[in-house]
Amino acid sequence: MSQQVYAIGVGLHPATRKETRFRLEELVFRTARQALESAQISRRQLDNLVIGACDELDGRPISSMLMAAPAGGYLRDEIKVTDSGATALCLAYARIRSGEFQAAMVSSWCKSSKTDADAVFRLRGDPFFMRPLGMDNVTADALFAQAVAAELGITDAEVATRIERRSRQATANPRGLQAPVRTAGEIAKSPYRATPLREGHVPELSDGAVSIVLCSQAFLDANPQVKPLARITGVGWSSDSYRLDATRLRSMKSARAAWAMAMNQAGITEASALDVIELEAPTGWHEAAYVRAFGIEDDAAVSPSGGQYAQNPLFCSGMVNAAEAILQVAGQAGAVQVPAARRSAAHSCNGYAQQGNVVAIFEAVEAGI
Amino acid sequence: MIDMPDTATGEVVSDEITLRYDYSLGEVAGKFMQGLREKKILATRCSKSGLTYLPPRAYCERSFEPCDGWVEAGTGGVIECSSIVVRGYEGKRKAPMAIAFVRLDGIDTAIANYVDGVDLADFDEAMRRIAPGNRVRVEFIASPEGRITDFSFVLES
Amino acid sequence: MSQAVAVLGTYQSEFRTQDPHHTFVEQAQIAAAGAYRDAGMTPEDVDAVVISLAPTFFMGVADADRWALDHIFGAGKPVFRVHTGGATGGSAVHAANTLVRSGLARSVLIVGAERIAETPDAQKVLNIIFDAFYERDLPLSTNTMVALRATTYMQRFGYDQEDLARVVVRARRNAMNNPYAHLKGEVTIADVLSSRMIAWPLKLFDICPRSSGSAAMIVGNMEMAKRFATRPAFVNGAGARTDTYWLGDRMGPFAESDIIEYQLIAEAARACFAQGGITDPLKQIQVAEIYDPYSINSAFTLEQAGFCSRGMALRLEREGYWDCDGGAVAVNPSGGTLCTNPIAISGLVRCIDAANQIMGKAGAMQIAGVRNALATASGGSAQFYTCTLFGADPYHA
Repeated sequence: MSQQVYAIGVGLHPATRKETRFRLEELVFRTARQALESAQISRRQLDNLVIGACDELDGRPISSMLMAAPAGGYLRDEIKVTDSGATALCLAYARIRSGEFQAAMVSSWCKSSKTDADAVFRLRGDPFFMRPLGMDNVTADALFAQAVAAELGITDAEVATRIERRSRQATANPRGLQAPVRTAGEIAKSPYRATPLREGHVPELSDGAVSIVLCSQAFLDANPQVKPLARITGVGWSSDSYRLDATRLRSMKSARAAWAMAMNQAGITEASALDVIELEAPTGWHEAAYVRAFGIEDDAAVSPSGGQYAQNPLFCSGMVNAAEAILQVAGQAGAVQVPAARRSAAHSCNGYAQQGNVVAIFEAVEAGI
Repeated sequence: MIDMPDTATGEVVSDEITLRYDYSLGEVAGKFMQGLREKKILATRCSKSGLTYLPPRAYCERSFEPCDGWVEAGTGGVIECSSIVVRGYEGKRKAPMAIAFVRLDGIDTAIANYVDGVDLADFDEAMRRIAPGNRVRVEFIASPEGRITDFSFVLES
Repeated sequence: MSQAVAVLGTYQSEFRTQDPHHTFVEQAQIAAAGAYRDAGMTPEDVDAVVISLAPTFFMGVADADRWALDHIFGAGKPVFRVHTGGATGGSAVHAANTLVRSGLARSVLIVGAERIAETPDAQKVLNIIFDAFYERDLPLSTNTMVALRATTYMQRFGYDQEDLARVVVRARRNAMNNPYAHLKGEVTIADVLSSRMIAWPLKLFDICPRSSGSAAMIVGNMEMAKRFATRPAFVNGAGARTDTYWLGDRMGPFAESDIIEYQLIAEAARACFAQGGITDPLKQIQVAEIYDPYSINSAFTLEQAGFCSRGMALRLEREGYWDCDGGAVAVNPSGGTLCTNPIAISGLVRCIDAANQIMGKAGAMQIAGVRNALATASGGSAQFYTCTLFGADPYHA
């Protein structure tokens, strides 16, 4: 019998384009502290830390050296994954579920402003075939956009409409950047970055950090003052081929696999069972593709936070989605609260043309548990 | 079938990668570096754990509380560990060079820097002079510019 | 009650400074295919993959794990990469262990490769791991960091460079039985002492080589063990601890976890041994595969993990306590990290060598009658430590 897993605390650094007041350690410490305060537990009650961080984006060969303690890992069992913040959430979930751990901090961050993210993406190109072409995220996402447009019937006009809707929602998010609304007209007229991808299809990057505290049923029983925000009922993650051929781009295999894995664990089959689905959409084409791949029909459920238009700290954007999805089922999402949200999902993607995907499912916790 | 000779072993594709970063000093390191310009070594203190930190920290890892005070470190201290680095690195001082972690008077943690003024011709003899437990004092360069190399340690005579 | 976790197959390549015959992804593929072959499994039999990959700055391809996805037969599977510096391989095995114990996967492939010699700037990389403001302007590297600690340790317990040299002699001799080892052979104490000084008291022979190669392990639950293994090793303990980055916080009277003797190890070992029912390591553990990139390192682990008391390991070394023949526990029959250090997978290779001892597959390195074997890994500024315990039987507390 596997352990139940709960989210009991969330810390989110205020959305900002360029954080200059705090060095990375301070940013992460403040966010981890906020998560502990939200959970109403002390750092010493944690028995482990799972970090999601990317050395290359942090500009440090082993970024957890300086970051593990600020994130809450001092003299604890600590481990780091490098795929995405949301991936760290999956491993922390597995740790609690295994029964070997009772209380986990999950921490992720990304100071996008500090480094040349495009250069890091170019460095991800293999040195023989991809890198000489200058392959980067923009080019790869453009190839993805072309493929899913053909496969799924997505148009330039639909993409523009979706982005306007999301950027309008984002202005209501108290945790967002409060960027001006992008209108569909402006978006559709914006210049191409790489056809069919336009400037207006890509959300701006921001600096951010996010920490989430997870615990077991046994921990809750032993700490009755702790009020869970959500129960995690399923996680799924998958990575697809590195190649960028039409089959890989059109099939969205890893997205579908991650979705199915999480939904199976949660015991649900239809997207309509979810009140909120926070999607990570590095471009508007991604959102249009995901709603089709996941069978999402109700637009009111899609990214009420405004998604990447609220904030977009590249590496940890998907984990910010998880925080937003948790706040929704806890009834603490503020102005972007979806009424009576009982069940939510957070999605994340990573790598060239969404090579990797992650999905987590959250449920509201009845009072008294 | 295409008849190709075996790849010449050792053939490579060369690339040179330069990434530039601007590390924000933040408030804490910024204040420390400003202190160096005034020839002062400033440490942070956490009132909850009672510990004083060099290098200065924004927060205390033991108490997980923000550090809430500043103190000026003493100009003398004790060597906690030391070595003579014989094989050098590009962009650093020319080897051999002596380095040590030193706990400055009034401070609870040790900070690393060069140890100057020690004859390094005989390593064993030099290591005896900079052995753990020996005392050193801080010496600043004439015109500090807000870098850790603004000061180094010299043996207390 | 979590599931028992068994080692079903392992693979390691021969290690050398460079592997000009293969690319990174081909190295990883060789290891994955090797582990599948060893276990008698195919990629369809594995539910998830954990990639063991430390800093990519050595090979110059960012997040190179993504590039390897097809080559390791991982496309479409749950895959993630673990990276805890030098402890990466140990952490990767721990992550796989977690995935099986949680029931999220029935079996997991752990795979990695290292080609550290791809750049001539490796020491530069090992310098920029340090703090940008306070330490990067100093000649700090992993070498100098260990040299600084060794100075104080030797002073504290009355050792000299000859005591360190004796460890090197044993390691290189053991490695002669290891077909995969990078450095091996009969060397004398005098040879070690006369090798080039790098950072006092460490000389060239006190320091591991930079190795390239690849390795993989497959772990699975009991059902998979019954299908695929006749004599599996069981992962009976996985303990890890992380300390502060700051070396200077870990020395002197106010240190909570003393860096000179690497007290962090004691905490990781305690957690690991508690899971696996080890109360007297010297009596219960027959083989220790210790992550020892420097001659001084195995002493820290032997003392802190409870094989001997503080400051005694190098004295007992003189008596042959850690020898394969006639010792109290066989320490690094493989020659250890001192002879072979492919950073990204060194911790994984320690686990493979330990598990192979349990499974009776260690070849010329085999020690008779191994019931429990310990594998360790260490990373960062001596701040990440993992202990993994392998047993001949699954242990249930």
